[in-house]
Amino acid sequence: MPEIILEDPDGTFAMLRDSVAAFAQRFDGARALRARRGAGKDIDRDIWSAMAEAGWLGLMLPEDLGGAGLGLSEQAILSEALGRALITEPLAQLSVFSGALLAGAEPGEERSRLAEGLISGSLVVSPVWQTTDGGYAAVSATENETGVTLSGTAGLVVAAVSADVLLVLARSGDDRMLVSVAAGSEGITVMERPTVDGATLAELRFDGCHVAADQILARNLLGSGLLDEAIQAARLTLAAELAGAGSKALEATVDYTKERVQFGKPIASFQAIQHRLVDMWSAAEFSCAAIVNALERLADEPGKPAALAVLAAKARAGDAAIDITRKAIHLHGAMGFTDECDIGLYMKRAVNLNATLGNPAQLRLQFVALERAA
Amino acid sequence: MAKQQDWNSLSDAEFRQIFRTWVDDNCPMHLRNMRKQRPVFDEVAEWYHALAEKGWLSPVWPQEYGGMGLNAAKHIIYVEEWARLGCPRIPDHGIGLVGPLLIEFGTEAQKAHYLPRILSGEDVWCQGYSEPGAGSDLASLRTAAVRDGDSFIVNGQKIWTTLAHCANWILLLTRTSRDEKVKQKGITVLLVDLTSPGVTVRPIENLRQEADFCEVFFENVRIPAENLVGEVDKGWNLAKAVLGHERIFLGAPSRPEVALSRLEQLAEARGAFADPAFVDRYARLRLDLYDLGSAFERFARQLRDNGTLGADVSVLKIFCSELYQKITEETLDIAGEEARFLDDLPAGNGHVDAMNLYLDSRALAIFGGSNEIQRTILAKAVLGLPS
Repeated sequence: MPEIILEDPDGTFAMLRDSVAAFAQRFDGARALRARRGAGKDIDRDIWSAMAEAGWLGLMLPEDLGGAGLGLSEQAILSEALGRALITEPLAQLSVFSGALLAGAEPGEERSRLAEGLISGSLVVSPVWQTTDGGYAAVSATENETGVTLSGTAGLVVAAVSADVLLVLARSGDDRMLVSVAAGSEGITVMERPTVDGATLAELRFDGCHVAADQILARNLLGSGLLDEAIQAARLTLAAELAGAGSKALEATVDYTKERVQFGKPIASFQAIQHRLVDMWSAAEFSCAAIVNALERLADEPGKPAALAVLAAKARAGDAAIDITRKAIHLHGAMGFTDECDIGLYMKRAVNLNATLGNPAQLRLQFVALERAA
Repeated sequence: MAKQQDWNSLSDAEFRQIFRTWVDDNCPMHLRNMRKQRPVFDEVAEWYHALAEKGWLSPVWPQEYGGMGLNAAKHIIYVEEWARLGCPRIPDHGIGLVGPLLIEFGTEAQKAHYLPRILSGEDVWCQGYSEPGAGSDLASLRTAAVRDGDSFIVNGQKIWTTLAHCANWILLLTRTSRDEKVKQKGITVLLVDLTSPGVTVRPIENLRQEADFCEVFFENVRIPAENLVGEVDKGWNLAKAVLGHERIFLGAPSRPEVALSRLEQLAEARGAFADPAFVDRYARLRLDLYDLGSAFERFARQLRDNGTLGADVSVLKIFCSELYQKITEETLDIAGEEARFLDDLPAGNGHVDAMNLYLDSRALAIFGGSNEIQRTILAKAVLGLPS
């Protein structure tokens, strides 16, 4: 089945894939998803700790912050494998996105403490930076003698209830600053909503929440490009996870249609079904090719070519995973419509990831606007 | 023809530079960006001869036979630069099909006789495969060859024979025996002189009202037995064996690339980029093309690394041909009332050949194995689906 193909001279990628396969033996993705959904939890803290032990949470954080100092290629291979195994803890947000912000923040005690906690799994560090419609959080920071006071609202926050620390993007002058806020601080209200794939997202309200000055981690996140960099890394991570989920859903559907007999023959022998499966396979191939292209552009042509390539990869992988998993449900027949059958979980996961950080239609428009900008 | 250097020892960038510079200097400007996809020999003879004289007519034949001896990586560059500079396609069945077949399966005498005549342009070949009853199901072909002393007597009909009307030789798949269970058995490859008595070539006008393919009739045509390639009844595998890595080029992004640039030109001229609905549709096409480039590179890399390609490469042809159609359809859509004109549409300082491309784009999804046949092959070869 299609996968991200990269040269692997020292075997790192194979090792990452093996470690996910072993992990999935211990923590069955589908079962964990159903358990978390049943408990109404935002994340599964046991699985999160096990992911920390596997060394995955600090994969891209620099070594001087205690991370593994690896790159987006390793992250993509890891996330692709997690997508295949339906291990759905929100790595893209809590590790990749938060990690990128911390890596780019100013050196200091608070930054070191958060990085260490993020990597070890002892601290869940949730980014709070968007509104529910995808814009920048409507939170303002008012500076005073002892620090800043935060007021306003934010949305789409993952692990808001389990979080130990919130990384809040707050308006300060014409730009944005990044503030570390202890979860549960006075003046914060959390309203959770369930997502289709058995987790939650929350809206947060800040009513004069006061934070000490040494909790300010970075300033000028827009002007410095730090926020864009973090978004790019998270998008590529999501694309890889989508590619993995799509490829696995295809594989499951090929297996099922070979087994399912009607009219005395496996339904995979019917041409109408064969052609659909080939189109699903084609979509999965194109996703993997788009991700490899993005990784190469990031390495060889940072800047506009890389930015275009990442937009294309997330759009392609999203479209493909959505298309594959919808067809996969259909080809599973009535079984596909049951909650008991895992194939539906892949579709639900794809819907979540596809909507995260821009859906394909939005990303394509961004691509065209960026490409055509003089 | 000068002795050639070892092109494969150059870096890709060096080779690209050398090839591009010479081609740009020597391909006549009046032949660039021709409307016709398949010009006849006389229309492009000067370019054919210029290439032959330089020794660059035949990219992949070994140098001992007068080719450039390019490996797959360099061949991709050759094809890419050719397309980028808008050079016309030349009648290339001798170069791409007959040459490789003879080099691999021909006798020394056949190689010595036919290969130089291809390079000189003295012989122009066409490919006699499809028949009225054998298109997608090629192995059911019926054109009969019967042994008669030192000859074969051929009777039957070929169709969709590209450029037969400007060719003087045809590579012919014939039926020499019939196996009721395996129809691929009993097929024989013959080299046939189209000027032989009993051969009739009748051009067929295509949708663009150009004759680029033909019907070819054979009535008691006597073929010397020495024109047999390989063994009698075992021609199917020969024909299959020369379908090498060139299949990747059926999915090369060049055609949709040209079409998209025409769409952009027309859209700019008509102000369509101010219409969000158009921009939305355009963005989808633009990204499809961009991603086709990434997918082409995925297979090109496979070819560079392993020297061969799997059956999976035909996914490029499916995607490419369908994208080409979507782009030319969109171009007609934004042409509005003008979409019905046969001639080119004024657009800014130039013209856009909207109808020409729209009609042309119908073909690629059909030839070289229709997209439905390709999907069925992929289902079996890649996904292992049962019959």
